[in-house]
Amino acid sequence: MADSPVLSPAETLTRVDAVSEALARHRYIGSSRIATVVYLAVHLQKPVLVEGPPGVGKTELAKTVAAMLELPLIRLQCYEGLDEAKALYEWKYGKQLLYIQVLKDKIDDALGGARGLRESVERLHGYDDIFFSEDFLEARPLLKALREPQGSVLLLDEIDKSDEEFEALLLEMLSDYQVTVPEIGTIRAAGTPPIVFLTSNNTRDVSDALKRRCLHLYIPFPEPALEQQIIETRVPEITAALRRQLVAFVQGLREMDLRKPPAISETIDWARTLLLLNVDTLDEAWVRDTLNVLLKFEDDVEAVSSQLPTLLRRVNG
Amino acid sequence: MQRTLTDFVRALRSADVRVSTAETLDAFRAAEMIGWHERGQLKDALAAVLAKSADEAEAFDACFEQFFRFDDFSGVAPNTTVEDTAQDEAELEQQIAPGEGRGGGGGGTGGEAVDEPNTAANDDTQPQTGASIPGPSFGSASSPLGRQLMADDRTALAVAISQAARAHALEDIKVFTQQGLYTRRILDSMGRSALMDEILAREADSAAGDRALGAELRRRYEQLRAHVRDHVERQFVLHADAQGERLRERMLYKARLAAISRRDDALMRRAIERMARQLIAAHSRKRRVKQRGQLDVARTVRRNMRHDGTLIELAWRSKQVERPRVFAICDVSGSVALYARFMLMFLYSLGDVLPKVRAFAFCSDMAEVTDLFKQHDLDEAMARTLAAHGQGSTDYGHALADFERLALDDVDRRSTVLILGDARNNEGEARTDLLRKIYDRAKRVIWLNPEPCVAWDTGDSVMSRYRAHCHQVNECGSLAQLERVVSDLLRHVR
Repeated sequence: MADSPVLSPAETLTRVDAVSEALARHRYIGSSRIATVVYLAVHLQKPVLVEGPPGVGKTELAKTVAAMLELPLIRLQCYEGLDEAKALYEWKYGKQLLYIQVLKDKIDDALGGARGLRESVERLHGYDDIFFSEDFLEARPLLKALREPQGSVLLLDEIDKSDEEFEALLLEMLSDYQVTVPEIGTIRAAGTPPIVFLTSNNTRDVSDALKRRCLHLYIPFPEPALEQQIIETRVPEITAALRRQLVAFVQGLREMDLRKPPAISETIDWARTLLLLNVDTLDEAWVRDTLNVLLKFEDDVEAVSSQLPTLLRRVNG
Repeated sequence: MQRTLTDFVRALRSADVRVSTAETLDAFRAAEMIGWHERGQLKDALAAVLAKSADEAEAFDACFEQFFRFDDFSGVAPNTTVEDTAQDEAELEQQIAPGEGRGGGGGGTGGEAVDEPNTAANDDTQPQTGASIPGPSFGSASSPLGRQLMADDRTALAVAISQAARAHALEDIKVFTQQGLYTRRILDSMGRSALMDEILAREADSAAGDRALGAELRRRYEQLRAHVRDHVERQFVLHADAQGERLRERMLYKARLAAISRRDDALMRRAIERMARQLIAAHSRKRRVKQRGQLDVARTVRRNMRHDGTLIELAWRSKQVERPRVFAICDVSGSVALYARFMLMFLYSLGDVLPKVRAFAFCSDMAEVTDLFKQHDLDEAMARTLAAHGQGSTDYGHALADFERLALDDVDRRSTVLILGDARNNEGEARTDLLRKIYDRAKRVIWLNPEPCVAWDTGDSVMSRYRAHCHQVNECGSLAQLERVVSDLLRHVR
């Protein structure tokens, strides 16, 4: 690709700032740390383990990078019990069974004229063993990602939900961009290796072996200024004053002891809700009515409701 | 730069960030790619490569700030003007980098971290500049270090300090009290004695010029010494702080639990948490999901290939559910209560691999305290347990009878029963028949005795009578022994 006059999107990312700008063009506003890690991931060809509370844009980051690099996004949602048959490859059993039937019919033709067992066996060895060959291989997400010639973005979502055995399965893929199918051998990345994002909500610790192979990125709740920028990008129709108010309010909520503090995705949803309702300034009635957009537990809603006047005074004052 | 990074990795390791060789290589590549000029980006990049958890990220931040700090040399050369201090410092910073660990950024791009110490340096410098009027009037010093000091060659001095520090393996500094020793050694190898001789000789001299030079040399020497001390102290903070803590932790690990004072509680808890984390990793849960009634098509087809593809044998997706159950029975009388506390602390830190722990406490009467530990934090739960059940004289027979009533029905082949107690029964009835019942039902019965082996069966201890009805009897007086027991438990529970 180096000799082509048109640079691929990855090649235009020569500096960290360029990554920031490209992400912003795709409406993803992030800290400089995020841009640095993406830059390293692209150039060092290392997978990225993204951690952070739910709703801060971990999955969104992978999607945005895929869009930014104009690569296909291959997503694998992890869950307990996920195994290689669903993640890596599977044999096409139906086809294999049919093949056996066909073979039975054709075996006489194939071995026609062979005299004696020895000759038949020799003749049989002459044919390729295609029963366990790529023709019968059903590629699952991991293998698919390897086979994309232009590269791809592979998103392994919520890796912490999978079993430890599955993590072990990933190690080969993450360090060498290859997988081994016992019957065939090792399959390497066809062209550019995929850019891998693993996300984790930390329901359990991901193993050290996996962590060692990855760049580590922790996305925390954003600073007020950053969050305002995000809202401005995602919900541009909302007025600056309201934006400031709602971000300050949400930031206040995060300081409270809640079961699930509102994340960026909730802030965006709330901004959209307020926009839809034509609210131009935060007042107690509106907030009370729309609080369930921000808070997902009844306990939290109750806890916040009782303190609404104080919270709002702080926002407006 | 290589040396700088490896030094940094070493500092990280002593701050308990686990960095592998592969990660160090990654760090080189990342640093090369990012360059050394953008401090913020460099920090982000190294953090992504080297720190792999929230704890480690925190340690990394502290370490980075400490390590890649601007080295301010203002004290050594007071007689420069403010303007060229700033300029020189930018130069110095670049030259000093390989030795001092500061990534030599260009003056302007380094960001606020460079600016801050600079202003501090200037504030220092100004009054001194005013006080000691620099003059060509000093003669030249004769000792090498003296010449260096008078030549005001700060770069050379900085390099000399780092070289001396490295020659004396300053990064191996272990304890606080070594700081003076290292300072002295570094100064010695820079040529302290020759300088001191010269200073003394000149101060004793009758010529005014020599005396002035002597005084000036002494002043500069003092500044150099202060600087070396700072350097040593910084290296100590970087390399030894965490090590010292670990040394203490190791001591605690071996010490008898009864001898550990309240003061070490926080450290103790951290040690237990760390051990628990290691155990969790080592005994990673092999929980299998049982999905009855789901046909495993792949295995069915493959298994039936030998029957010509006619489906004769079916394979089902069935996975064993393994649910370890632990019944922890703790004597909470007097001195044993302390051990109970640590054992329960340990067991409940293992929530990830031991989801089902039921705790029972007794002195004479036994009661289940599982809910207390679920609802409150450990200290609170322990205090409540002691208040409710900690009175009276120990009666194992009575307690076992209570256990039979409370929970014997729930003890089954998957259960492990842990009994923590000194088996001192106050001459009461032992009721070994009840322990036998538990033994027959449970997978394992483990008795943990906090007393040393030699004290068993002395006085009113009836350990050997109980011992006959246990699968395993262990002494568990220290954290090390406790860890071994729990690790064993995890292995058998699987």
